Amino acid sequence: MDFRLTEEQEIIRQSVREFAAKYIDPIANECDENKHFPMEVFKKIAEQEWMGIPYPQEYGGAGSDYLTYVIVIEELSRADAGIGFTVECHTSLAAFPIFKYGTEEQKQKYLVPLCKGEKFGSFCLTEPGAGTDAGSAQTTAVLDGNEWVLNGSKMFISNSPIAEIFIVFAMTDKSKGTKGMSAFIVPREAPGLRVGEHLNKMGIRSSLTAEVIFKDCRIPKENLLGQEGQGFKIAMHTLDGGRIGIAAQALGIAQAALDESIKYSKERVQFGKPIASFQAIQWMIADMATDIQAARFLTYHAAWCYDQGLPYNKEAAMAKLFAAECAARHTNRAVQIHGGYGYIKGHKVERLYRDAKITEIYEGTSEVQRMVIANNLLR
Amino acid sequence: MLKIIVCFKWVIDEADIKVSGKSRELDLSRVAYKISDYDRNAIEEAVRLQEQLGGSVVAVTVGPPTAKQSLKDALSRGPEKAVFVSDPAFDSLEPAQTAAILAEVITKNLEYDLIICGEGSSDLYAQQVGPRLAEKLGIPCATYVEKIIIKDKELIAERKMRDGIEVVSMPLPALVTVMPTINTPRIPSLKQVLGAAKKPVVNLSAKDLEGKYEPCLKTTSLLAATMERKRIKFTDDPQDIRKVVDALLKEGVIS
Repeated sequence: MDFRLTEEQEIIRQSVREFAAKYIDPIANECDENKHFPMEVFKKIAEQEWMGIPYPQEYGGAGSDYLTYVIVIEELSRADAGIGFTVECHTSLAAFPIFKYGTEEQKQKYLVPLCKGEKFGSFCLTEPGAGTDAGSAQTTAVLDGNEWVLNGSKMFISNSPIAEIFIVFAMTDKSKGTKGMSAFIVPREAPGLRVGEHLNKMGIRSSLTAEVIFKDCRIPKENLLGQEGQGFKIAMHTLDGGRIGIAAQALGIAQAALDESIKYSKERVQFGKPIASFQAIQWMIADMATDIQAARFLTYHAAWCYDQGLPYNKEAAMAKLFAAECAARHTNRAVQIHGGYGYIKGHKVERLYRDAKITEIYEGTSEVQRMVIANNLLR
Repeated sequence: MLKIIVCFKWVIDEADIKVSGKSRELDLSRVAYKISDYDRNAIEEAVRLQEQLGGSVVAVTVGPPTAKQSLKDALSRGPEKAVFVSDPAFDSLEPAQTAAILAEVITKNLEYDLIICGEGSSDLYAQQVGPRLAEKLGIPCATYVEKIIIKDKELIAERKMRDGIEVVSMPLPALVTVMPTINTPRIPSLKQVLGAAKKPVVNLSAKDLEGKYEPCLKTTSLLAATMERKRIKFTDDPQDIRKVVDALLKEGVIS
């Protein structure tokens, strides 16, 4: 057993930290305040080759591994969870299903520009009436000659305002339930695709989220991803990997909360002493650090399982569940340590507190993660 | 085609140093290491010159075997080859010894038109290795360099002096030591980091050297500096202005 990262992974972690200090930290508050998507930062992220980290170089990726990818998401999220998430959603949710289920032609046409960071990708599963119960989706796809015709709407679709490639799940045979769901690759220019207003979110405000509406949206027959009826399986398999990415995002948020808390508690003087000298604060810091370390090991282990070709569905759920709850719990404590200052806009912990919450909700709520874990143990 | 050698040092990342309370001792048990800050500027400048003018960049470092970790880091920043001169005894070299080792290794193994070093290392900042190496090799040297222009076989360097910029020219081969203001080092891309492992590294040890370089520095104590405050308080009463002036006069701050 070896807990050390490779030299390359250590160098990449330092690189992302340096990148974040230079390009993200100075703008993070402004992006949060104005729900601004920093396109210029993503151009630089693409130049760093961080938009397709775990995919082979022949498809425009960096040809690295999932653990390295997780480290990058963690470090980006430590500076700005919206930026970390945008890369995560793009890599894990949009690029993955094409990499895993796409034909060679689909990979060349869609995966390559995603991995190179030339185009953003988006994953359209959730609907206004189908969240956790994704199998009850109402969006339909009907084959009409050489084209699929999509109708329906998808809700809370991350990256959709800037995405050019959409992975869309629609029912091709409602009578078959989840086995009647299929996956499609929809280019932005497809007639009948419309992206709604950029939603005003509580947190991760530097990322873009909107509704995506399909009205007689026509795409070529060959844009079916995988087999007809395989859609639900593709969605679930994709989300397994995504959960490792969200665990990494939550980990970055929690680590940032700890960093801020340590710094502040050493500087803040009350009763004539830095508050770090009080046991009440010390215990909070100790608990935060311990939980974060546990979350990190769970997350890295899940990524390691992915890289080793081992089953990772349970491990990903455990990592996401624990890291998300760790982030929510400890950003709350970080605000507590900062007292009134932590409640004021512009203080990083105030942003972290809002950013953390979503990690318990998207790519499977904490309740869903518990279901996945229990199903693995009790079947 | 310009042949460039860039020298770098693997040092403790000062951000990781912890001071243990009253004893003021430094806790180095959990420190990480990094390429010395100004040496990163040296590597960047070498790579930029190579991009402009063609040629080659070889990175050279001298240190204990643990400094092996530095090689991928350095190579990911652009040089196509590294030379690693290592021995357990090279942990506490004195700048004159480092310069002598570099001179021996370079003379025997490498061709060069230009050698670039950082102005000083992040740990000792002795500013010795560059000028000493130039002296050993018998080539001209410019220190405090903020800008380098190469014209044919001539190097023009802008040196940052206390009262202005001095422009000097020297024939190649030459050595310069660079300031952090000369450039902003790039952040290596992922493929550059992954590609570093495939680049050649020449490993040399003390046995490959003719000179003998026994450790001659011994650290007897290492303590954090403290800054004692005077704890003299003044109010915003106009009468106190005189007291502030008197106090400053007494301390010799003003006269």
